[in-house]
Amino acid sequence: MLISYEDLTLGYEFPPTSYELSPSLVFRYLKAVDSVGDGFVPPLAIAARAMTAMTGVLSLPPGTIHASQDFEFCKLVPIGAVVSCQAKVVRKLARGSMRMLVLELNIFDQSKEKVQSGKATIILPA
Amino acid sequence: MLVEICQGETLPPVVKHITQEKINLYAEASGDFNPIHIDESFAAQTPLGGTIAHGMLILAYVSEMMAQAFGENWAANGKFSVRFKMPVRPGDTVTATGKIDSIKEENGISYVGCRLECHNQKDEVIITGEAVVKLPYGQGGTSGSR
Repeated sequence: MLISYEDLTLGYEFPPTSYELSPSLVFRYLKAVDSVGDGFVPPLAIAARAMTAMTGVLSLPPGTIHASQDFEFCKLVPIGAVVSCQAKVVRKLARGSMRMLVLELNIFDQSKEKVQSGKATIILPA
Repeated sequence: MLVEICQGETLPPVVKHITQEKINLYAEASGDFNPIHIDESFAAQTPLGGTIAHGMLILAYVSEMMAQAFGENWAANGKFSVRFKMPVRPGDTVTATGKIDSIKEENGISYVGCRLECHNQKDEVIITGEAVVKLPYGQGGTSGSR
């Protein structure tokens, strides 16, 4: 079931997800971004999957804008690793015709070590 | 990788031409099938007037530039903060640029700060931001570079 902006509360935690960074996933990502690999999973390939898992459960109206993005990468991730993603709402703001969400995500490997963290700011039309 | 890391040094840019095919490939690779990116008839009816590239696709080019400059240190010890200033459309050419604007040393680690910017073919700014990469002291010539 999709979650609407109205249903989200500050501190809302998205259902945790985990996924394998398989060789085929990494290959498809590198082809899509027109790049060559270095033997590890590109950090933004991990982030992209996590962002999709997070926003995929949101009902975002047309005109939603990805306004800003922060990431911090903590360790190299080998191809084939399985990572888990936790995400929550850390800011929710409605002002005039603007509605804004700040989503925080943290990604861990199988040994529970943090792989990366990030914050996405999304602006939704009223 | 950069041979020597000096304040004021410009990072080798990454230039990419954006096509709808690339956007579609990115949608498949990332799992982000938002119609604003891939459905031309839907996107035409929105205020944007047409499809736009995923912001994360353009960030991938920034990340590629940083990885080329700093090697594995970027994926292991990098961080960045960016703002999306305008959308990127099929047919645009994106140039990711960066410049080292600070080098600080602390406890055997060099913190290399970079100013980031992406432009389109009209020299309009698409993305602005900052990045920091942690390097072992002395790597890339940072010890004597300021």
